Amino acid sequence: MSSFPPLCFHGCCASPPLFRMVSPAIALAFLPLLLTLLIRYRFYFVLFYRAVLLRVWRDCRTGLSREERCFQYVLTNATPGDPESILDGFDSWCTKKEFISHIGPKKGKILDRLLSEHSPLTVLELGAHCGYSTVRIARALPLGARLFSVEMDQKNAAIAEKVIRLAGFDEVELIVCPSDEVIPRLRADFDLEKLDFVFMDHWKKCYLPDLQMLEGSGLLGKGSMILADNVLFPGAPNFLRYIRRCGLYEWRVHRATLEYSKGIRDGMAELVYQGTK
Amino acid sequence: MNRTPVKEQGRGKERRRSTAKKLKPGTATGNVFGSTNSSQPQFHPCLLLDMCHYFKQPLCPCLSSEQESSEDGDKEGEGEDEEVEEEEEEVEKEVRPETLTPEELEKLKEAVDDKKKLIQALRGKPWPMKKKHSTLRESQEFLEKYEGALGKGKGRKLYAYKVMMNKKWMKFKRDFENFTTACIPWEMKIKEIESHFGSSVASYFIFLRWMYGINMILFDNIGTVPRAEETNAMDFAVLWDFGGYAQYSVLFYGYYNSQRAIGWLKFRMPLSYFLVGVGTVAYSYMVVIRKMARNANETGGGDENSFNFSWKTFTSWDYLIGNPETADNKFASITTSFKEAILEEQESRKDDNIHLTRFLRVLANFLVLCCLAGSGYLIYFVVRRSQKFALEGFENHTWWERNEVNMVMSLLGMFCPMLFDVISALENYHPRVALQWQLGRIFALFLGNLYTFIIALMDEINLKRKEEDVVQFNMTMWEASLHNNTADNSTAPPLFTHPADVPRGPCWETMVGQEFVRLIISDTMTTYITLLIGDFLRAVLVRFLNYCWCWDLEAGFPSYSEFDVSGNVLGLIFNQGMIWMGAFYAPCLPALNVLRLHVSMYLQCWAVMCCNVPQERVFKASGSNNFYMAMLLVILFLSTLPAIYTIVTIPPSFDCGPFSGKARMFDVIQETLESDFPAWISKVFSYAANPGLVLPFMLLMVLAIYYLQSTSKSYKEANVELKKKLQMVN
Repeated sequence: MSSFPPLCFHGCCASPPLFRMVSPAIALAFLPLLLTLLIRYRFYFVLFYRAVLLRVWRDCRTGLSREERCFQYVLTNATPGDPESILDGFDSWCTKKEFISHIGPKKGKILDRLLSEHSPLTVLELGAHCGYSTVRIARALPLGARLFSVEMDQKNAAIAEKVIRLAGFDEVELIVCPSDEVIPRLRADFDLEKLDFVFMDHWKKCYLPDLQMLEGSGLLGKGSMILADNVLFPGAPNFLRYIRRCGLYEWRVHRATLEYSKGIRDGMAELVYQGTK
Repeated sequence: MNRTPVKEQGRGKERRRSTAKKLKPGTATGNVFGSTNSSQPQFHPCLLLDMCHYFKQPLCPCLSSEQESSEDGDKEGEGEDEEVEEEEEEVEKEVRPETLTPEELEKLKEAVDDKKKLIQALRGKPWPMKKKHSTLRESQEFLEKYEGALGKGKGRKLYAYKVMMNKKWMKFKRDFENFTTACIPWEMKIKEIESHFGSSVASYFIFLRWMYGINMILFDNIGTVPRAEETNAMDFAVLWDFGGYAQYSVLFYGYYNSQRAIGWLKFRMPLSYFLVGVGTVAYSYMVVIRKMARNANETGGGDENSFNFSWKTFTSWDYLIGNPETADNKFASITTSFKEAILEEQESRKDDNIHLTRFLRVLANFLVLCCLAGSGYLIYFVVRRSQKFALEGFENHTWWERNEVNMVMSLLGMFCPMLFDVISALENYHPRVALQWQLGRIFALFLGNLYTFIIALMDEINLKRKEEDVVQFNMTMWEASLHNNTADNSTAPPLFTHPADVPRGPCWETMVGQEFVRLIISDTMTTYITLLIGDFLRAVLVRFLNYCWCWDLEAGFPSYSEFDVSGNVLGLIFNQGMIWMGAFYAPCLPALNVLRLHVSMYLQCWAVMCCNVPQERVFKASGSNNFYMAMLLVILFLSTLPAIYTIVTIPPSFDCGPFSGKARMFDVIQETLESDFPAWISKVFSYAANPGLVLPFMLLMVLAIYYLQSTSKSYKEANVELKKKLQMVN
């Protein structure tokens, strides 16, 4: 869009130093741009403040890591053995105090609905982080189902273990190992034939390699469902491109907002494996 | 809602007719039995047999074509005989009617009428397609065969001839309609864009095409003016300053001299220049108002509200499409129309807290007013500063200070619309209404720009006029010195001075024209460059950087741009305003604009399909067309005002242009009236200019306007009542 340009652009006689004597009028003319950016991306600025700035500040102040602070809060505020209150504890900490990027209540409802429709018996979870999503899945599983949770980081895995014990679930198997090392060994070590449900919430750039490894290992059968979180923000474009093109899956993207944030668009990709033709 | 590409529809209809025609008896039935030269008795039993068959059952096997040969299983022998005799009947057609009794003639007439009615009612019958096709074919054959034969006596041939000509005429009309639709420029492009992006984006391109048409006509009008002169220095080198030869070329005002009658045609140059200027403005007003009136008729609501989605689901597809690309476009357009309908439904169901909404809207308008006031004050401040700098001389200031006005105006024009867009999210309007508010606000912003431009132009005109006075003074001195010299040496031959040595006066009109042309060109360049960088480069970056970026660029921050309808429409409207303003001083402007619009059409169509994504909320643009026209009318009015002001108040340059030497430009009309027309016409005009006559005339016009307005209102009300009645009856 152009406005009315120069009546006459006066040429410059010598090359003056650029920012000397830039008039205040030109600087003021940039004010609308600043205001626009501030208003349009206000949710991103708020997220940045909560997820990065506040975290660094609190880390320096208390000396504990973010996950440990979270676990302390949940421990004091939730009733043991009641997964509902543990999840509520997590939600209230993430809403009021700081930000942790697990699945959140709104997207969690979609997860619950899919689980109750599907009723899988063998579930694999990649990226347990603090154990929020593990508790959420375990809560919705039918009797006799098995849940395998993979978490790479030692400290996070320790906290997740404690949270799972606090919730009172026994049939959850927590594997502390990077996902690309675990998946080839799943069949051998844990006696698995087929995975009914896979939940991916680890590093976004690992979504595609892990998916391909799962395909290669033969653990996916016809009708296996894969749910991948955060495919729009921060986003996993290679993953989305792959599933659009390969033709092995019936896929759809559930549109929602990022956890604990109102204005940032996000989505979960739900894939149903069709089997090779 | 039928959005079929018209081309495909036309072709489909033709296909159907042509297949029907092929099976005309005697032409397409294979001539298995050789020639038909055998003489036959005059009375053919087959004729009666035909008629009996027709009266008994609609489907007559005796005239069925080869394709329905399955029905003729046991009648084949009969059929063949009849085919032979048919052809013989064709040859000896003229003999038949005289052999018929009046009752049979009556019956034949009835049969023909029946067939005609059958053909007309065929679409509504609940028959399978095959049956309809065969009935149609056979009825048409019957009509072809017997209709011509019905005329009595000598008139028969004429009647048959008339019937044939009528049919040919209908076919010709249909072909011509198809041809004219195909001739509409860029129709397929716009349909494709509409199918993918919705009618709001397409409305911009339709508006662009309409402007192109207007400018073509303006260009034709103005192009006739310079043809009488021989070219002087027609150097079309586009120097940035448009100085040098181009200054004196036919492109600009200063080229035309004030000689009253040119050449053997006694072409009245000054008068024609003036009248062409007035004529273009009048034509523009007329065209805009006529388009507005026509659009006002089309906005009639009422029947779009019931069973909207059912209609769309069951009747959207067009079965005559034969081209895969057209089918894709149709698919996309049906999807888009569903989205539009869903949006309309959602908007009509919203019922939230009205007080909160009202408060938010007032707040948003207040914020926008603050922003407009701020930008207005900033522009005013900057203009005053630059006037101060001009007085001090431009050499004392840095480059930034010299070009402050331009920079500030460009920056404000780029950033304020974005701010208005963000503020309008508070208001929660229907997207169509939000677009209109956005257009209005950006319009108000650009009025500030217009004001600065005109102030600056006025300053330069005043400067030039002062220069003119100085030059005039110098010239009188120079001439006086010449006379002194010749007076001294009265015996010497008169001095010849080279014409180029005669000092020329400055021409403020040409300067104004140059400014306008520069404005248009740099505006165009800025638009194209912003398009290339803002849309195309962005799309390329998003597409190819996405492979190696940490977040998803397509779904997240930059993503592909959407087509900015409001910005583009306003750009088009303001450009047209500039053309109208400057057309009097630079007759080449409409030509430039035609070229610019032509290039814009292709470039923007390509850019939209290549780099933009459709908006999330796709809305129908039904009311927008009249809104664009209303804005165009306002701009037309605003842009004719300065031209009229300069014509009426500022004296033309003494040395250049068709009006040089006169006190005011409109004096040319008075001169023409006095010298060229007979005396009684000037008397008539002087009577007509009498206030005693003018005032009652104005009163009459006001009354006429009031009367027309009230009748049109009553017609509209009657229309709405009738529609309601129709709905109730149905």
